[in-house]
Amino acid sequence: MTITVGTELPPLTVDVTPTFVVATALATRDFQDVHHDRDAAVERGSRDIFLNILTDTGLVQRFVTDWAGPDALVRSVDLRLGVPCYAGDELTFTGRVAEVDGGEVTVAVSGVDSLGQHVSATVRIEVAA
Amino acid sequence: MTGLSGAAAIAGIGATEFSKDSGRTELRLATECVSAALADAGLAPSDVDGLVTFTMDGNAEIAVARELGIPELTFFSRIHYGGGAAAATVQQAAMAVATGAADVVVAYRAFNERSGRRFGQVSSAVAQQINTSGIDNGYHYPVGLATPAATVAMVARRYLHDYGASSEDFGRIAVTARARAATNPRAWFHGKPITLADHQASKWVAEPLHLLDCCQESDGGVALVVTSAERARDLRMPPAVVAGAAQGSGPDQYIMTSYYRDDLAGLPEMDVVGRQLWRQSGLATSDVDVAVLYDHFTPYVLMQLEELGFCGRGEAKDFIADGSLELDGQLPLNPHGGQLGEAYIHGMNGIAEAVRQLRGTAANQVPRAETALVTAGTGVPTSGLVLTAA
Amino acid sequence: MSAATDRAATGDGSGPAGIGRSIEEAAREIAAAGPSAPEPARDPVNQAMINNWVEAIGDANPVYTDPAAAAESVHGRLVAPPAMTQVWTMRGLHGVRPADDPLRRATELLDEAGYTSVVATDSAQTYHRYLRPGEHVAAVAVLESIAGPKRTALGEGWFVTTRTTWYVDDEAVAEMTFRILKFRPPEQPATGHSAGATGDAGTTGGAGTTGGAGTATAGDDAASAEAAQVLRPVVTRDNAFFWDGLREGELRIQRWGGTLRHPPGPLPPDGDLDAEPDYVVAAGTGTVHSFLVHHHPPVPGKRLPFVLALVELDEGVRMLGELHGVDPGDVHIGLAVEASVDRIDDDLTLPAWKVRS
Repeated sequence: MTITVGTELPPLTVDVTPTFVVATALATRDFQDVHHDRDAAVERGSRDIFLNILTDTGLVQRFVTDWAGPDALVRSVDLRLGVPCYAGDELTFTGRVAEVDGGEVTVAVSGVDSLGQHVSATVRIEVAA
Repeated sequence: MTGLSGAAAIAGIGATEFSKDSGRTELRLATECVSAALADAGLAPSDVDGLVTFTMDGNAEIAVARELGIPELTFFSRIHYGGGAAAATVQQAAMAVATGAADVVVAYRAFNERSGRRFGQVSSAVAQQINTSGIDNGYHYPVGLATPAATVAMVARRYLHDYGASSEDFGRIAVTARARAATNPRAWFHGKPITLADHQASKWVAEPLHLLDCCQESDGGVALVVTSAERARDLRMPPAVVAGAAQGSGPDQYIMTSYYRDDLAGLPEMDVVGRQLWRQSGLATSDVDVAVLYDHFTPYVLMQLEELGFCGRGEAKDFIADGSLELDGQLPLNPHGGQLGEAYIHGMNGIAEAVRQLRGTAANQVPRAETALVTAGTGVPTSGLVLTAA
Repeated sequence: MSAATDRAATGDGSGPAGIGRSIEEAAREIAAAGPSAPEPARDPVNQAMINNWVEAIGDANPVYTDPAAAAESVHGRLVAPPAMTQVWTMRGLHGVRPADDPLRRATELLDEAGYTSVVATDSAQTYHRYLRPGEHVAAVAVLESIAGPKRTALGEGWFVTTRTTWYVDDEAVAEMTFRILKFRPPEQPATGHSAGATGDAGTTGGAGTTGGAGTATAGDDAASAEAAQVLRPVVTRDNAFFWDGLREGELRIQRWGGTLRHPPGPLPPDGDLDAEPDYVVAAGTGTVHSFLVHHHPPVPGKRLPFVLALVELDEGVRMLGELHGVDPGDVHIGLAVEASVDRIDDDLTLPAWKVRS
């Protein structure tokens, strides 16, 4: 694979079902009610249960390594949250290589849902140069 | 009648089911619809010597030929400009047949346009292609004009302003389409009619377009077998004769963003197509028994009625108001439900519907339909057909 | 700064902040207390939890689950997903933050001052190496800063930044800077966006509540990521002057003798191959010829909804750009606008508009 600045990653769309929200919250050991109890989430002012940030970190990592391959080493994941991602939405990740320095590649990742930008992230990986 | 008129005919039609997730590759869909069209015509793959499709199609002619065992091709061609290619595939096939370049040409279009790459989403690949279209897109995509619906919304807003039309006028096109789809078992929205209130209540996509002004994204494939009118008469199904076939682009033409013309609220490229169709076929708007007008977005249906001469500029809202588009109206429109109701197969399913209407085998049959008008993608360089029963 | 701080700190009058100490003073005290005691993970890094995680996230990378493939990989053996680092030290269903936990102390401080809602705004994780099944990590957290009060889309609030380091024995294996916004909910919650879970179910590593809501911050870190997402124009010899001009803050229109054209091209409208173009700098004033309000789907670099306007410049050409600072309901054809460029980064500036005052 040739990686150059501007290379686009294949987009990834995640169907954010209630099951997905709950399964990922529990798999990341996040037991806050807003990630599994819709009534509680609504009471706290949310529309529905929503994804937790540990899952965003996981999804961003997966999105980049799906593209970069199993031998890519993930060195950092910086992410900033925007609008929430509620159950029932679709979350689409797109990414673009922002920097290549030898074997160190920086990828800009964006995750958008129907409300807008849910997460923007910068992921640094190392690949065999 | 001049030129190409009467030389060729559509002798077979074939399609896959229309879905949101075909569960198979685009090449598989292409082979299935081509195969079905050949079976409909009573021909074998070995009879085919020409293939034509859209530049946007992901299936090379040689790949389709390889899979189906089509041994040799003497004609293969592709048409540009998205859905604007639909009727032009038949035009090119007819020209090939008329000139002797090929005897049997199959036009096809097959894609996973919902489960695969979705046209309705923002595509950076389209935005940044290194060619003149990519350069054109540079004035539009980066500032945020990045989806088909948005490109249409800009023109639609000006149309509403210039002619005093309303979102409800757009909605009437959607309601008509869904009413037809409701009684077409092949349609995705079979059994699901909508009301004008539904249309008005549907969410904004790009104001002034509601969700229900936009066609659905679909998976599926459609193929059409074209051969000489003479040979078609001896085949299994009654032929749909190509009485007129034309392409058109207009002044200062862009792909979906012809925003720099003096008059923003029109589709002059469709006027170019219409003038040729009437001249070639020797027919007039009053001869059309059924119209299959490209309806990926409702506003462009109104504008097509004007450009093709069914009514004057800005008068479409009045033309459609009194039931004229119903099956028993003055101009029965999209009896299959159109792309708003049946499926969005880039206009090719509309051509198949026109053929069924002329054969008398459609789900929503217009009585004694002998002349059908079909148009291709709007907002882009486009094409059209006049088909007649033999 | 201090005046605003004092007002915020004394506004509610009840908690520690209200009896004379400012929030900033209290924050300094928490920070000065230094790192929390190392808090070990409940379990060692283990395959069962890795399997649960990759199944839920949908990560098919074989280095986490397939011993044979992992042996062949750069790792030489099975490893844990780096993004799971924080998972190991989450407190679980009934966990409670220890009293010396800096995020707990900061949260209590701000709760008492009336900033009761919370959203996570950003997280920056650095992985020094991959963890292996069997290793036992422990987390140490320290308060980095409490900054505020700031006016955000969610309401007035304070940004609390913590820094967590994960250790295996004495070796630091990963670090995280984590920021939350503790805010005072407005009287009337603006929209469904303003989620903000209150309370703290407890995660180590400073994760705290993962509110996951709110277009709250204007942080700089992620701005570059957003800029990288903006679609780039294709620049050629024919149109470079236009994009160069925008970078310099000029709206340039191609001129062929007495004729202006936009978008530009290599020839004048009469096709004269011998003609040479130059450009004029537009006055920047014009009227809306048509417009749309984009609601769906999301567009890179844009907040929804946004207005796009096709503007007829006074020079007679049309140009497209986002129209800023206006309620979409107030836009109409004929509206007088003026140019207001959008600078994306050093390479790209886009045409934009604002309502002419």
